[in-house]
Amino acid sequence: MKLFPGGHLSRRRFLAGTGAVAAGLSLISRQAWCDETPKLNFYNWDTYIGETTLKDFKVASGINVKMDLFADNDELFAKLKVGNPGYDLIVPSSDYVERMILADMLMPLNDDMIPNRFNIQESFFDASFDPGRKYSLPYMWGTMGIGYRKSKMNSTPDSWKWLFDSDRYKGRCALLSEASDVLGAAFKYMGYSLNTKDPKIIKEAEKLLIKQKPNIKVFAPDNGQDLLLSGEVDITMEWNGDILQVMEEDPDISYIVPKEGSAVWEDALAIPKGAPHPENAHRFINFILEPSVGAKIADFIQYATPNKAAKQLMPESYSKNPAIYPSNETLSSCESSFYLGADVVRLYDEAWSRVLSA
Amino acid sequence: MKIKNNHKAPKMSLDYFYQWWFKVILCVTFIFLYAPILVLIIFSFNDSRRNITWRGFTFKYYEKAALNDGLIDAFINSLTIGIFNTLGSLILGILTALLLWRFRFPFKAVYEGIILLPVVMPEICIGVALLVFFNQIGWANNLPWPLSLSKITFAHILFSFPFVAIIIRARLATFNLEQEEAAFDLGASPGQVFTNVFLPHIRPALIVSGLIAFTLSLDDFVITFFTSGPDTITVPIKIYSMVRFSVTPEVNAASTILLLITLCAAGIALWVHRAKISRIGKL
Amino acid sequence: MMKQVGSHRLIFWLTFIPPTLWLLIFLLIPLSIIGSFSFSEKRGLIDIELSWILNNYIRAADLIYLSTLIKSIGVAGITTVICFLFGFPLALGIASAPPRWKSILLIAVILPFCVNLLIRTYALIAVFRTRGFFNFGLEWFADLINVPFEPLSLLYNDTAVILGLVYVHLPFMVLPLYAGFEGFNKTLLEAALDLGASKLELLTSIIIPIITPSIISGCILVFIPALGSYLTPELLGGPNSQMIANVIERQFMNANDWPFGSALSMVLVYLTFGILALRYLCFNNLYLDKNKRRL
Repeated sequence: MKLFPGGHLSRRRFLAGTGAVAAGLSLISRQAWCDETPKLNFYNWDTYIGETTLKDFKVASGINVKMDLFADNDELFAKLKVGNPGYDLIVPSSDYVERMILADMLMPLNDDMIPNRFNIQESFFDASFDPGRKYSLPYMWGTMGIGYRKSKMNSTPDSWKWLFDSDRYKGRCALLSEASDVLGAAFKYMGYSLNTKDPKIIKEAEKLLIKQKPNIKVFAPDNGQDLLLSGEVDITMEWNGDILQVMEEDPDISYIVPKEGSAVWEDALAIPKGAPHPENAHRFINFILEPSVGAKIADFIQYATPNKAAKQLMPESYSKNPAIYPSNETLSSCESSFYLGADVVRLYDEAWSRVLSA
Repeated sequence: MKIKNNHKAPKMSLDYFYQWWFKVILCVTFIFLYAPILVLIIFSFNDSRRNITWRGFTFKYYEKAALNDGLIDAFINSLTIGIFNTLGSLILGILTALLLWRFRFPFKAVYEGIILLPVVMPEICIGVALLVFFNQIGWANNLPWPLSLSKITFAHILFSFPFVAIIIRARLATFNLEQEEAAFDLGASPGQVFTNVFLPHIRPALIVSGLIAFTLSLDDFVITFFTSGPDTITVPIKIYSMVRFSVTPEVNAASTILLLITLCAAGIALWVHRAKISRIGKL
Repeated sequence: MMKQVGSHRLIFWLTFIPPTLWLLIFLLIPLSIIGSFSFSEKRGLIDIELSWILNNYIRAADLIYLSTLIKSIGVAGITTVICFLFGFPLALGIASAPPRWKSILLIAVILPFCVNLLIRTYALIAVFRTRGFFNFGLEWFADLINVPFEPLSLLYNDTAVILGLVYVHLPFMVLPLYAGFEGFNKTLLEAALDLGASKLELLTSIIIPIITPSIISGCILVFIPALGSYLTPELLGGPNSQMIANVIERQFMNANDWPFGSALSMVLVYLTFGILALRYLCFNNLYLDKNKRRL
């Protein structure tokens, strides 16, 4: 029972791990390491780490990782907004990395401490939400799309139309419950960009959704995949990872990215300002980026990894799975979502309020 | 002297309990209350990660729950906060109830309103307010356990003690002041009057409101979220953040264990209480 | 009497200071922060500048938000009524049970609440969803009597939200009522019966008037939290079921507009004060003690 941070259990391990530390991870100067207590406060999504990653890191470096969970980017942001309550490493999504950089909430990464970053695929080296990847490094990525029950579909639902503009599946479809996600998909359906700012187009999308609302059973906050599995709905808008998890339990369920295109998301590792153990955080990031570690994580959580060296170690059932790694054609029609500024966020929110109360 | 079992004169102390309508309402209510709990318990043995459809019987999630350090830490935190919260709320609640029942002072009605504020304001509002407040006054974030739970505990006492105050005050409305006067006339000090006259009278209210305070604390998510940090995770927060990916049977198993513990504690309390009663009866 | 007034002064301050201090530090000061937010505006992603403007309140008066508020009041009201209809007879029955049953029944009412709300709600969903046990049971029954059966769609609508709210708030009605019944002076009942009152008259003329403070307490303890509840409507509600707390939550989270969220919250606060003021004006005389001293 770990009642005290860095309790006696980890201290014993620390002594045992000293030998391992001397042998491994010699790229980090030992002096820097000695300055911090061997502890790391990791704030992450649930089950978003390998089964033994934290234990392996402790064996390799003697640092005890305590992982707390959050359920939503908004929660993460709200919690850190007025000050860091003590977290060293966080995993925000790309548009929230952008917000945090704008709000000066992140610590720039020390590239010298993360030599493994060259294991990442080149396309991730730069990002519009974090130019030059000064503050974050990619962790996992994926797509948003449609999860559906094959036996209940007239044909493969490869278009947003079946969720936004049709009563074929009346009362049997679900959408996500966040304004930006649903509106973004609506924009894609109508042929516009995912990150539309034009108030006229937003109004159009709002009308479309209000018209479609009687056909929708529920706006599912996080559990669209559960609704699909239990038969409550037969077609839902969801993130690929969530649908993948229920595909395991029920082979009748499948996933597809609609032809009009969708959102591609990326979760990144970042260090918030005011972190008590920033050097340990750097070491952990470097550890995660090792090919073998990355492969173990990808194998356990079944998301697409940006680590090309790790991907090479994975079996084909993983690297050729279209639900995890969409084809280049599909990817070309997908966009990342950006932070569009407070005014647009407000427009989205008001449109969403109107949709909900219609 | 009470007339017992007189069919023509139903008494509050006996008759309502045996009425048919009461039994019907009791059955319906308890089925409604407990059906989900039964489902919860049954599904804690389900051999399926997502726990939507039944796939087989297994104990493995109980093992996982017992070995889940994070969950155990969260339990301990929740129980500790719950106990301190109950104690603090009871004390503050009694004082408040006494104050409102006994004394007149300017703006008393406004005061009553303010006391109810923690109950009415949306929790997220109080949560954010406390987040900003603790941050502004620089409340330290790395105090040793259990002091690290102080932020959460104070916040919980804040929204629990109004419930306690309301329930005790309603109970005090039926208090017979003549008892108090008699006690004073017999030479008792205010302290003795308090312990021997007031407390016994409000004891049912104390028990009831104590239970409410405890469960409010155990269940609170939003305010706790904003006042917690690393190392101070409670059960609701842990579970809520697990929802996105895994309301696994492990969570059900943990809840069932907690339920059993509470049942045992209640059973013991009941047994002790009855032993006391029968002892008093023998005097 | 005179002797007690003097000692009362000490007791007054003893009972006044701790709660007041607590409220001051942990409620009023944070509340004033929210109050100041409601008159502020956003500056960038994090900063909030106090500029004493009314924009947030003007925006809060918009029809969407008002209609959501009114709907929330309606839902909370129905929840309170249902809780009362079930809670009153339940509390009455428990209070008149033999001592052994009393404690058991009370514990039985409280026990579900030791299970975390989120888990309980998920279990509720498992029971009442389209392929849930309630429908399975009905289907089995329909097969038995050979009637065609269409599963009921019980979730993801307003009814489900009300059901969920009743499920969560029932003890807050039962327990105060029970506490009130426990202190009931049974000799009054006996006297009334001796004077020839019927059971109904007993209820309406004696029990209800005396127990009214408990009833009001119970109603307030259900209505006000139900009004501000957010988890239940989010999990059980359909596309139309959003309540005011969901709107406020979105402002603090997704929309990142703390000033506006604060303004909406303050509206709820004013509403509560209004309700309590109403209670004071209409029902205050019920809090007189038996010796009719106005306190």
